[in-house]
Amino acid sequence: MTLRRRIVRARRGGVDVRLPPEERALLVSLPRELEHLLESVPDGAADPDPVLRRLFPVAYARDEEAEHAYAGLVRAELLEHRREGLAVLAQTADATHLSDEEADAWLGAINDLRLVLGTSLSVTEEPREVAEGDPEFAPFTYYAYLSYLEGELVEAMTASLPPPVPGADDDVPEDPWGELPGGLRWDGTDRPGPP
Amino acid sequence: MSGACRPPVARASAPLSGAGTEVEQAPVTELDADADARAATEHPWLVVVWNDPVNLMTYVTYVFQKLFGYSRARATKLMLDVHNKGRAVVSSGPRERAENDVTRLHRHGLWATLEQAG
Repeated sequence: MTLRRRIVRARRGGVDVRLPPEERALLVSLPRELEHLLESVPDGAADPDPVLRRLFPVAYARDEEAEHAYAGLVRAELLEHRREGLAVLAQTADATHLSDEEADAWLGAINDLRLVLGTSLSVTEEPREVAEGDPEFAPFTYYAYLSYLEGELVEAMTASLPPPVPGADDDVPEDPWGELPGGLRWDGTDRPGPP
Repeated sequence: MSGACRPPVARASAPLSGAGTEVEQAPVTELDADADARAATEHPWLVVVWNDPVNLMTYVTYVFQKLFGYSRARATKLMLDVHNKGRAVVSSGPRERAENDVTRLHRHGLWATLEQAG
């Protein structure tokens, strides 16, 4: 099956967007739901909610004090950034052309929505099919749709990246740890022990 | 993307870069220079990106190119390290700069932490 591309690089800069009305409606309603969720983001402290933890990740996984200070300083700015992106997406959901700045906001907001849906659905890297009667059918369909849309957006935006910074590649550091740093997982929680 | 300032946890404040200039370094102030001089005698801080099941591979590659100015080939290699090995070290430097890189990666929804080498 081939689908007509919905997002393409525009000659005059930015991207052109060709979406049917029902998809545009989704790009208004989904940001609203996430904005509602973001109203309950606590200041600083580690989030018990895995969805919020995904949007506001741990920076210092093994230093509680530094992490607390980091979260206290960065959380509000990060929250504002996410809200702005969602607002731009909802406000420009009817647009047929997006500026580079708007496209950047779309990409951020769509990725945030995927992070929230994907975390709620406990997606893994294994492909999964959800039957139509399944209670997770609707969120899973939204997740799959946003993944598809994000793929097109990334492709269009990659084409307009500035050239690589000279010498930047040479600055990539070596990984000094032969093994993964002791007991640390990507989410900052302890790695489960060997079975 | 906002260009708001925030004080880092460790040292003097540095402005966050704006969307179009993210690969550029913040202007070096005297405070930054002092911090860099102190940091030169310390082990560098490494920025680690961890694998996660949600972020698209093409998106992760795009973010590495955008934020660090890496070539497509280098960004792709780092993305594949994240995907296959579970993590990759994507940048390093004094604590302040590493922390700023982590914040920029968090804005883009990537799982990034900073660790001191050594």
